[in-house]
Amino acid sequence: MRAELLTLALIVGGFTWAFRFFPTKLDVSAMKPDGVLARFLASTGPAAIATLFVASVLPMLQQGLPVPLIAGTAVVLATYLASRSVVGATLAGSAGYGLAVWLLA
Amino acid sequence: MSFDAPKSSFATGLVTALPIALGYFPIAFSFGVAATRAGLTGIEAFGLSLIIYAGAAQFLALALITGGAPVLVAAFTLVAMNVRHVLYGPALIKRVGPAARTRHAWAWAYGLTDEVFGAALGALARGRVAFSEPFMFGLGIGAYSAWLSGTALGAYAGGGALENWPVLDAALGFMLPALFLALLLSILSKAQLPVIAVAAVVTVAGTLAVSGTTGILAGMVAGALTGLLRRPTDAR
Repeated sequence: MRAELLTLALIVGGFTWAFRFFPTKLDVSAMKPDGVLARFLASTGPAAIATLFVASVLPMLQQGLPVPLIAGTAVVLATYLASRSVVGATLAGSAGYGLAVWLLA
Repeated sequence: MSFDAPKSSFATGLVTALPIALGYFPIAFSFGVAATRAGLTGIEAFGLSLIIYAGAAQFLALALITGGAPVLVAAFTLVAMNVRHVLYGPALIKRVGPAARTRHAWAWAYGLTDEVFGAALGALARGRVAFSEPFMFGLGIGAYSAWLSGTALGAYAGGGALENWPVLDAALGFMLPALFLALLLSILSKAQLPVIAVAAVVTVAGTLAVSGTTGILAGMVAGALTGLLRRPTDAR
């Protein structure tokens, strides 16, 4: 592995580990359930996942009419509502997206 | 212990990691293919997955490396992109409450990626599992194994592996958005709808106005801050 790549990986990997580990040691036990920080942290999960979903589909939206994206999203929604399965919805949505791409090709 | 008591074993963690592994493997495969296409050796591609273990940052790393960015500039761009992870540990520990044990967090927190955090939160919210460090190890190792094996196979397949399979390539590319959406649905509640809406709008605005990294960070923080506007008595 080239030295500059290894350096890059160690810097980024080290900081990423620190970002993931050290905050787990914060004492949140004394936090009031309805306090400001508690509500902020409770909202962090939905905010983070919504953000990552939007960030991952934004490039597809910028490439014109996103028929495969609409199809894939609809299949994820329908499958999750029918089965409550994260695995099933993920796989079905991906298959739906691929099917739409194939039909439009 | 009752029959329906939430499980918290290492094996439960591995099972909970299954949707992540199914999503990670093809994405990591795509990363391995893209890395070798960009001129990295198989060992270098695998090394990035082994040490960095952050999907979006790794794809951006390829763009920066091939674009000729200096190592320190590239490194700190990628570090800035991963700052969002500081929110995950406290959010998870807060969700678990006093039962949260973090003695070995130095090890399992290495695997606290976006998807592992989302899956842990979703499983805890559905009441199917109880938090434990073995559960977090199972969840993390299941996801990490899929990421590493996918990268290795993609690097082995080489840069042109998906050129003749555009439909498969497209379907694999939607795996991660599909996983994020499914995870979002699994933790969705009426009280969090404004949080999600604000996070989405700010992400789009930040990305279009500044950059993808800014959009992600601003969307997360704006969405979480929106949670502060919720009245304390609102249902979660």
